[in-house]
Amino acid sequence: MHIADGIIDARIAIAANAVAVAAIYVSGRKTTIEEIPKMGITGAALFVASLVHIPFAGTSVHPGLYGLVGIILGKRAFPVIFTVVLFQSMIFQHGGLLSVGINSINMGAGAFAAWLIWRQQALPEYLRAVFAGFIGIIIPVLLMATEFQLSGYGRGILYLFSIYILAAVVEGVVTLSVVKFFRRIKSDILT
Amino acid sequence: MKHSFIDKYSKLNSTVHRLDPRIKLLMTFLGIIIIVSEPPGKILPFAFYGVAVLILMLLSRIPLGFIIKRFLILSPFILMAALFFPVSLWLTNDEQIVNLQHPAFKVALSIFLKAGLSVILLILLISTDKFHNLLLGLRKLKMPKLIGVIAALMYRYVFILSDEALKTKRARESRTPGKLKVNKMKVFSNQMAMIFLRSWERSKIIYHSMLSRGFNGEFPVMQKLAMNRIDVVFFVCFLTAFLAVRFLITPLT
Repeated sequence: MHIADGIIDARIAIAANAVAVAAIYVSGRKTTIEEIPKMGITGAALFVASLVHIPFAGTSVHPGLYGLVGIILGKRAFPVIFTVVLFQSMIFQHGGLLSVGINSINMGAGAFAAWLIWRQQALPEYLRAVFAGFIGIIIPVLLMATEFQLSGYGRGILYLFSIYILAAVVEGVVTLSVVKFFRRIKSDILT
Repeated sequence: MKHSFIDKYSKLNSTVHRLDPRIKLLMTFLGIIIIVSEPPGKILPFAFYGVAVLILMLLSRIPLGFIIKRFLILSPFILMAALFFPVSLWLTNDEQIVNLQHPAFKVALSIFLKAGLSVILLILLISTDKFHNLLLGLRKLKMPKLIGVIAALMYRYVFILSDEALKTKRARESRTPGKLKVNKMKVFSNQMAMIFLRSWERSKIIYHSMLSRGFNGEFPVMQKLAMNRIDVVFFVCFLTAFLAVRFLITPLT
């Protein structure tokens, strides 16, 4: 899900960095010193999660956890996701350095959408959790498909990315399972 | 515990290693911008960029085998993304792509070269300086303060998390040795949640100890970054070479 440098149009990648910096200021405004360790450890978990592979249907997938990050951090998710994407780019070269902005916007939008769904208290919790996990993958994929199309790849990219629906379903199940565990063990971690 | 997956060759001593981290970050960032701004379908300029990057690699004294191995691990992903271009056009039915002579494949090759060279520049960046020096460089380059604090804590918390992950994995394996046959997803999710909770508790204790010792969100460092003449000369040479390829050679090809 990490776009490397050179894959999409350079102008889009550069503009996305400017948008990402603005988003950091907006979403990180008035962060209290008490919120910092939660942001740090969630970031570390997100970073490590990309190295974990779950055997699934004869292959392996790694959890994205953007939905879960949205549930845990709410509007503070974006600065954390930006930092993780920056780390992944510099340390493991997953995604490019110039593409940090575009990658963090894609994933941050997924986390933000998941948070919005999670806040709909009228819905049962299990439904909110599954849907938050699902949407946490689908939104980044849709944004990514749009960016590829704007870079001249054509509509066909949507067919290629449809495989991510499967990953989003797995993510929904994992998110539900983790939320249930948190609710049982440590309820206050859920925003 | 030893964690050497980050910045493996950062302790070598070479001209590139001795450069100011800010210079290295700027060189990488600007170098990538110049490379990815090449018009789609141009191939020849990448030979020149390649030579410049090869010189950097040789000057850095990082074993070429390491860089090639790292690149080969990442290359299937880059290749796949590059091949998305012709395949996507074919699926769109806007184009009839029947052979490798089609211009779409030339564009795919240029995408692969852009992404590949950018990846090599990133491998060089992380291998030629300690990660915390690069973070310091980013802070000096006016990275938002909040990102600096999250980054500094995250870097330390990754080790807490990997320690907890190892402990939890051992505990699970000691109870149910071998391959899991049932409820894989549930066990995996619970394990993940448990690692997170334990690490979170531990990170809170560490953070409170930091607060009690006067931590106010700043990470004061004794280390002073100072740019010297070699840094500036290196930066100017690197940038001039890349700009020359981009604006003098590319229009000719």
